[in-house]
Amino acid sequence: MLKGIIAGLLAVVLLSAPAFAADDATMRAAKKEGKVTWYSSITLNIAQHICNNFNKKKMGVQCVLHRDGSGKLYRRYLQERKGGIYVADVVHTSNLGHFLNLKAKKIITPYKPAGTDNFNEKFVTKDNYWTILRAGVLMPFYNTKKIKAEDAPKTYKDFLDPKWKGKIVHSHPSYSGFVTNGMINIVNKFGWDYYKAMAKQKPKIVQSAAGGIPLVARGESWLGAGTTSYSLLKLIEKGEPLKPIVPPAGLALVTSPNGVFTKAPNPNAARVFTDYLFSMETMQLLADYFLYVGNPDVKYPKALPALKDINLMAIGGAELKKKNKPTRKMFKKLFGV
Amino acid sequence: MTQDAQQLPGMISGGEPSATKKFDYTVIVWVVLLILLIILVANPIFQLFKESFFVSEDEAGGFTFQNYIDAFETDEYYKPMYITMMLAISVGSISLVVGAVMAWVVSRTDIPFPNLIRNGILASFVTPPFLGAIAWIFLAGQNEGWLNKWIRGLFGLSDEFYLFDIFTMKGVIFAMSLYTFPLVFIVVLAGLNNISSDVEDAANVAGGGTFHTMFSITLPLVAPSLFAGFILAALEAMILFGIPAVLAIPAGQHTMTTQLRAFMVSEDDLLGLASAYAMPMLILAVGMVWTRGIVLGRRGYATVGGKGGQRRPQKLGVWRIPIFVLCMIPLVCAIVLPAMALLTTSFMKNLGGGLVWSNLTLWNYHFILTNDAVRESIYNTIMLAIMAATGATIVAAISAFIAQRKLIRGHEYIGFMATAPIGIPGIVLAVGLFAAYTKQPFVLYGTLWIMFLAYLTKYLPLAYQTSNAGLTSIHPELEESCRIMGANRLQVFKDVTVPLFKTAVIASWILVFMPSLRELSASVLLWTTNTKVISVVIVDFYEETLLGPISALGVLLLLITLVAIAVGFRLVGRDFMRSAG
Repeated sequence: MLKGIIAGLLAVVLLSAPAFAADDATMRAAKKEGKVTWYSSITLNIAQHICNNFNKKKMGVQCVLHRDGSGKLYRRYLQERKGGIYVADVVHTSNLGHFLNLKAKKIITPYKPAGTDNFNEKFVTKDNYWTILRAGVLMPFYNTKKIKAEDAPKTYKDFLDPKWKGKIVHSHPSYSGFVTNGMINIVNKFGWDYYKAMAKQKPKIVQSAAGGIPLVARGESWLGAGTTSYSLLKLIEKGEPLKPIVPPAGLALVTSPNGVFTKAPNPNAARVFTDYLFSMETMQLLADYFLYVGNPDVKYPKALPALKDINLMAIGGAELKKKNKPTRKMFKKLFGV
Repeated sequence: MTQDAQQLPGMISGGEPSATKKFDYTVIVWVVLLILLIILVANPIFQLFKESFFVSEDEAGGFTFQNYIDAFETDEYYKPMYITMMLAISVGSISLVVGAVMAWVVSRTDIPFPNLIRNGILASFVTPPFLGAIAWIFLAGQNEGWLNKWIRGLFGLSDEFYLFDIFTMKGVIFAMSLYTFPLVFIVVLAGLNNISSDVEDAANVAGGGTFHTMFSITLPLVAPSLFAGFILAALEAMILFGIPAVLAIPAGQHTMTTQLRAFMVSEDDLLGLASAYAMPMLILAVGMVWTRGIVLGRRGYATVGGKGGQRRPQKLGVWRIPIFVLCMIPLVCAIVLPAMALLTTSFMKNLGGGLVWSNLTLWNYHFILTNDAVRESIYNTIMLAIMAATGATIVAAISAFIAQRKLIRGHEYIGFMATAPIGIPGIVLAVGLFAAYTKQPFVLYGTLWIMFLAYLTKYLPLAYQTSNAGLTSIHPELEESCRIMGANRLQVFKDVTVPLFKTAVIASWILVFMPSLRELSASVLLWTTNTKVISVVIVDFYEETLLGPISALGVLLLLITLVAIAVGFRLVGRDFMRSAG
């Protein structure tokens, strides 16, 4: 208890400290804590890559990764909190709505990561409850071995053509915050009728937003209704026979926040790790993985279109919070799972 | 046995005469067993029942019937129940036919390589069903499944043609049957081996052919085993989580187990709804086990009982080879093809690249071995399996000994208590354990202990039955003679019973160890960041559809299991898995 209070006080004092260099005390305390647990919804290979890089620094803090979908991470944390179990230190999901809830209940605490002063203003917040770690778009795509470019769908409505029945793969909004976000945007544009018709296409339902890619890459499904742009572009670079579809209606922008838990068992390590997440090294790593980040100095891969060149659809956190549950409910009703 | 008996006096030479009046150990035994039963079964089930009547919120809620109304009112939640029933009946029936026919063929005919078939079936029994289901996506996917492509190539058919589609209810039934028919096989084989061939010979002499004899004589005699096998297979189909999670959810269908888990991992706190939803499963499962007990308990068949006289194989004649080939099909489908599919996929660089030299890689193995979660899960899996096997074996051995030797008052209830969890589906047990041990004052959630409790409860009946069967074959006279010579109960247990009892104990240890390696349905609700096991990592990866790494991890899990079996063979001899029945 006393340890917690001291750590808390320490954190408050250190909050006002501006840069990495001033954090010697935090660093020392972090070493004493020895580890940091990151609840993260970014795809496993990237999350593990970040953790491995962090561990290679030998700062005396071990990164413990818990990767899962946004919705499941949120439930897990609340469930553990109910039992008085505090495991997680840092949280990162694709559901801004959850972060609004966490903030309202003061479950997360303000922290401004070092080095974010020059960040794009859309990636930082005034109250510092969270900072956007990465952004991407929800991208429809197809298998180039199965479908010729001229036959591939050009618009969202093209997916409803009966010839694609049974050949589409769709991810689950209860699992993926990315998909919840994208679906709300698409419903805003085309109404629920779009998904009613989509359900009649009998798509295969996978969980993670990135989960559709392997099925389409194998050719088991031919089309993906929407996946994380970063996973898709990275696998295209790797040589999978896939191609994105950019409908004229636009692509849904998903920004994924990162925050620190108020009751983090390793509060100092949490801050050191968060600083690392927003350091140039990780920002560039994320950019190399085809993600958009707040740091203006990173170099993006050539194959990644600039955000300003994409016709974007976007919703705010409040709308996401409001429509989150009804969207999941409706999906279950229409698609059966 | 006689050799052991001759050694007895020497073995207990260190024993001293027992004290004249001793404390009645009965009380201690009962208290310990009762506490165990409360922790493992009574409390979780009670909490499950309690939660089902409360509003679940992150802040505490009040008494309500709403959970039951929600669970049974809407079509969405009602449909999984219907699907589950349909699955149980179809899978039970298919397993019954396949398992019983194969048992008859192995036990009663001159089929070539009966041991190959028997051991193959036992091997398919230890293959994790969810792994088999994932492998079958590679084999029978509508568009890219090997079998479909092979048939297309063979007959020059278009890309649109397909014979198999694993992401359908038929696919689920098929995959489930592959891994449940061994249950029927084992039970029916045991039943068949107890019937003497004399009665069949009589039928033959009277002019009945091979198949006529089977239907009119053998079949009725093994009817109880058939029924028991059907119940076991149907129950397994009802409580399986892995296969429907892999194959039914993508097809837009929930079964009760997958729906239950969906409640448990929903963003909203649905513990109450999940608890209410678990009730019909619990009642059905307990009911099925109870019915099975009643039918098997009826011993109205005079010919059955004790190993019968000689058994002469029926001649299959020209059907010998075709029937052998037919018998190999389920084995090839359950073991050979899935193992091949996983092995090849695990070495593929790009999933869309096909099986060519340039597309081979060790990346998937590198990925899993440098992944923290995987490394930890391997450790946790083996650790938990050892803990569960040891715990269940100790509790089972002691309870079986007390029950068999009638050591304390009320010994006849001990067997009931040790086998009571048999009717509780793993996933329901997990919801109960979750409800019971995520709250103060007993917070076990987040530790390996809660999973240990789940495994222990789940596998205790299996361990008990094995120990019990082993003890039955040891004559109490041996122990009694030692008692007469002055050894106390503990000494007798240590110096006489244990050495004789060893084989059964080792068998029970391995029989718990192996399924613990791949336990999924309880683990999937109880794991946390620091307590992942291999099976949940595979399911986790499947939710990201990481097919390459899954295949590599699957190969790894199969290797660990194979090592366990090999060790088992060395220690106990090749028959140890037969006692699983």
